Amino acid sequence: MPEQFSSWKRNLLALLMQGALLSLVLGALTTPALAHRVLVFAYAEGDTIHTESKFIPDTPVRQGKVMVLDAKSGQELLTGQTDDKGKFSFKIPAAALAEKMDLKIVVEAAMGHRGEWLLKAASYLSGAPTAAAPAHSPAAVPAPAVAPTPVAASGVKAANVDQQALEAALNKTLERHLAPIKEMLTDLTIHRTSLTDVIGGLGWIMGLFGLWAYFASKRS
Amino acid sequence: MHISEGVLSPAVLAGGAALTVVGTAIGLKKLDYEAIPRVAILSAAFFVASLIHVPVGPVGLHLVLNGLMGLLLGWLAFPAILIALFLQALLFQFGGLTVLGVNTFTMAAPAVICFYAYRGLLRRGGSFASVAAFACGASAIVLSAVLVAVALLTTGQAFLEVAELVALAHVPVIIIEGIITLFVFVFLKKVRPEMLEGIYA
Repeated sequence: MPEQFSSWKRNLLALLMQGALLSLVLGALTTPALAHRVLVFAYAEGDTIHTESKFIPDTPVRQGKVMVLDAKSGQELLTGQTDDKGKFSFKIPAAALAEKMDLKIVVEAAMGHRGEWLLKAASYLSGAPTAAAPAHSPAAVPAPAVAPTPVAASGVKAANVDQQALEAALNKTLERHLAPIKEMLTDLTIHRTSLTDVIGGLGWIMGLFGLWAYFASKRS
Repeated sequence: MHISEGVLSPAVLAGGAALTVVGTAIGLKKLDYEAIPRVAILSAAFFVASLIHVPVGPVGLHLVLNGLMGLLLGWLAFPAILIALFLQALLFQFGGLTVLGVNTFTMAAPAVICFYAYRGLLRRGGSFASVAAFACGASAIVLSAVLVAVALLTTGQAFLEVAELVALAHVPVIIIEGIITLFVFVFLKKVRPEMLEGIYA
């Protein structure tokens, strides 16, 4: 019996060593995504939605499967894959724009890790119409610095066009400037494990088992 | 090791929950008054261990300690892991409440299996026991990886691929847990032999 066990264990040890070596090789080539919670956040910039996925605390989800769903019906609008920085961007689907869908963005990483983010229609529609409704190309937008002078001099029509152009340009710059802030805000809303949580949890464990011990002592 | 919410089908979730209920019931039946502090300490250790990330490779791995729990608790690993996972899901959103059953089973069942598998050798003492303690800590993780792969089978992910991925990703953890289990066992045997007496008299 013991011989049987020890040979089995020798095999296991050999297996472990082989596994360790293999993992070193694999670790250099791929990065097994493995931590805990998958975090997804998304924001719109013009007609594009950017998503970023990572494992808490700060490891990007590489080659994770991204699914964009209509939050209401659960219908899949498009799928994609995150890049090496955990990012994935896509054009807002026409169907989503037309029906003002709230988008549910689901990211599936390996080994049963999954995260999702709800992108409300309101948060991406604000940027999109200016790009979708008036059909002028970005190249036709004049430099904002020149715009104010002709506005005063020229007719109402020109002022209108300029204002539209100005608004589009402003929207663009604002979005660019706000993007990091949006990212930071989403980052801040994410609940990270703090020391307080840990100590609180330990307290719960003590309390629960204390209660248990109390009732057990009453019974006996 | 924690499977996220929304990945598994209701059937798998229900199956995992049922198995966990059975395991926990057996555990609670075996729980006597003296064992309560031991279960509480190990439950707390498991709860915190998931937060200790081992800086190996590009991604931090975390300890599971289910082999150690099996060694010291046997069937009591079920209630201990269930409570710790419940609080982790509640406080940290690790795993989730719907997957609680499956996650408990994938981590507690290997603990119980290893308890029975190595009990005989651990009783013998000496170097047999040391090797057994290491193997107990290490193989519990391997078994958990296999169970995670089984649970994910229904989601259409290839079994071998996932099992291999999980096991390979955990190779550093497998080794570290083996060492931790070994040291705890040797330490307790020297310093607090009465803690092991009940099981490995």
